[in-house]
Amino acid sequence: MQSDNGYYGEFGGSYIPEILYSSQQQILNAYEEAKNDPAFIAELKQQWQEYSGRPTPLTFCKNLTEHFGGAQIYLKREDLNHSGAHKMNNVIGQGLLVKRMGKKRVIAETGAGQHGIATALVCARLGLECTIYMGAKDVKRQYPNVFWMEQLGATVVPVTEGSQTLRDALDEALRDWSSTHEDSHYLIGTTCGCAPFPEMVAFFQSVIGEEVKEQSKAQFGRYPDKLYACVGGGSNACGLFLPFVDDKDVEMVGVEAGGKGTKLGEHSIRLSHNLGTPGIAQGFASIFIQDDAGQLQETHSISAGLDYVGVSPIIAHLAKEGRINMTYAMDDEVVDACTLLLKNEGIIPALESSHALAGAFKDAPSMSKDTHIVINLSGRGDKDIFNVAKALQDPTFPDFLNDYLEDYEKDTLIKKTEKEA
Amino acid sequence: MSQLANYINAKRESKPILSMTHVVYGYPTVEESLTWMGTLLENGADFIEVQFPFSDPVADGPTIVAACHKALEQTLSVEQCLKDIGQLAKNYPESRLVLMSYLNPMYRYGLDKLVERCAEEGILGLILPDLPYEQAGGLRAACDKHGIDPVWLVTPVTPKDRMAFLASNAQGFLYCVARSGVTGNSNHEGEGAQTELQHYLASIKSDSSAPLGVGFGLRRREQIKELEGHADIAILGSALLDAYNQGGQETGIALFKELFSH
Repeated sequence: MQSDNGYYGEFGGSYIPEILYSSQQQILNAYEEAKNDPAFIAELKQQWQEYSGRPTPLTFCKNLTEHFGGAQIYLKREDLNHSGAHKMNNVIGQGLLVKRMGKKRVIAETGAGQHGIATALVCARLGLECTIYMGAKDVKRQYPNVFWMEQLGATVVPVTEGSQTLRDALDEALRDWSSTHEDSHYLIGTTCGCAPFPEMVAFFQSVIGEEVKEQSKAQFGRYPDKLYACVGGGSNACGLFLPFVDDKDVEMVGVEAGGKGTKLGEHSIRLSHNLGTPGIAQGFASIFIQDDAGQLQETHSISAGLDYVGVSPIIAHLAKEGRINMTYAMDDEVVDACTLLLKNEGIIPALESSHALAGAFKDAPSMSKDTHIVINLSGRGDKDIFNVAKALQDPTFPDFLNDYLEDYEKDTLIKKTEKEA
Repeated sequence: MSQLANYINAKRESKPILSMTHVVYGYPTVEESLTWMGTLLENGADFIEVQFPFSDPVADGPTIVAACHKALEQTLSVEQCLKDIGQLAKNYPESRLVLMSYLNPMYRYGLDKLVERCAEEGILGLILPDLPYEQAGGLRAACDKHGIDPVWLVTPVTPKDRMAFLASNAQGFLYCVARSGVTGNSNHEGEGAQTELQHYLASIKSDSSAPLGVGFGLRRREQIKELEGHADIAILGSALLDAYNQGGQETGIALFKELFSH
């Protein structure tokens, strides 16, 4: 969706320290040139296909459709991207842009670690130096991702300031970029930040919706009636929704993280129920969770990827216009939705994406049988194994961990003795 | 000409360079931060740059970030801050106080109201590092109306034409960032261009009739000395806070005197 000089209605813009002016201009120009360069687009499509396995399928959920007895349920399978999430679409695009600009180093922030992993993968492939900022709390919640990022050669920096989540990682990435802008590109993972990031990330993610357009026509003869996506920063939602924005018959539902409740600090609900208010922070104007004095506040979600204080200016604008309906799902509903998909369809969804499932599952039973809904399954859930096991209170999981640790220590000891011998 | 520029030009007749010391309002408490500002003013600080804390200060390094987060453990109000520092401005008419913050707390307070209240309290300058000139139309209009100076920043990597533009639009003084990066000692080892500071300042001077303030990374007497004749104000932020954190007001004042009493 084309911005009006970086703005979407009253949201968006560029609110960045002066030191970043030149680098931002460089990105603006490089992006404008690249998106109009057929050779760049061809290379992008080739990389999406060869490296990430696009197009991803549109999967009909026969069992769930029967289970609810209402709408025909389809999943857009972004979980089948290389790296297991839609994040790859954007990182491949920006990675090619980094090469085009001749920069040698990439900085990124990550919440759940999916964007961090995708960035580390692409940097390894393109031979770029890579530094990932991640809230210290998220490092704990998503350690397996940290492990892989480091194995891929990235430097992962835990951010111990503030709330120690995505928002603090973003602040710290901006500070790094202020110091290293001449050689480094800040590869923002979502449709937030200063212009042109919201527009650019949405552009790279729109491949999701574009594919759904073709696939829905091929598989059920018309566009879907309703689309569902979870909304953290907003990139997977922008990706699915924006190609349909002018098709007024297609309804859109964005699902935010309700967390444990609607009290401040227990959720990440910015748009639905007016729990957020207009603000300007982290480079852009949008809706933020903040107090009366304009201080950004703590957020919570069972899924690190949705645990964010702001939201895409594009989503904020479309929600304000009434084009997108915003709702939320609570932590426990999300785990239930995740389990339901596992058991009925044999698909392991990420907890982020399970918010979209929960939102859709609430509506599906009361919808008529000739309505078709598409839920964006933005990522796979393998990364959530520890958190889901805990949420389900799996009785044998702690034994596994204890055994693993025992074995790990034994193995370390043997290796050490061998080395000394 | 602006009130701030007049003040700077008049004071510069008797001083080779003016001092601007930075204090985080509310760190470690409101009371203590005000006492600290009073001590600096007693000791002849020409300016105090009062930072109203924001939860996400992206242009600041670890020292100031930590102080802002500590200060925000209490509830701080912009209105009270303006009253408090307005009182200091009245008590020390030989010095000037300017307000620095990030856009969001000021935006939530109301930019028009902010400028009006600054004028009432005798706070003559406003520094908002995440509000670029282009996005500041409303603020500029309010500032013009009330005789307040919005202070713009330029950096060693600001393109030549933009530098000329910002310099020619400077009011009060132009804040010249001495190097890439955030304030103070950074976690990030920038490879940024080691710009020849004096050459950089000379090129700004050729475009600007407004006085020049220089900040970011100043912590030694030689650095201040080198600025004499090239800039009008030396801005002391993180180094002063580091000294203060190390040994309280006494150590802070010792650094201030070492840098400026010559």
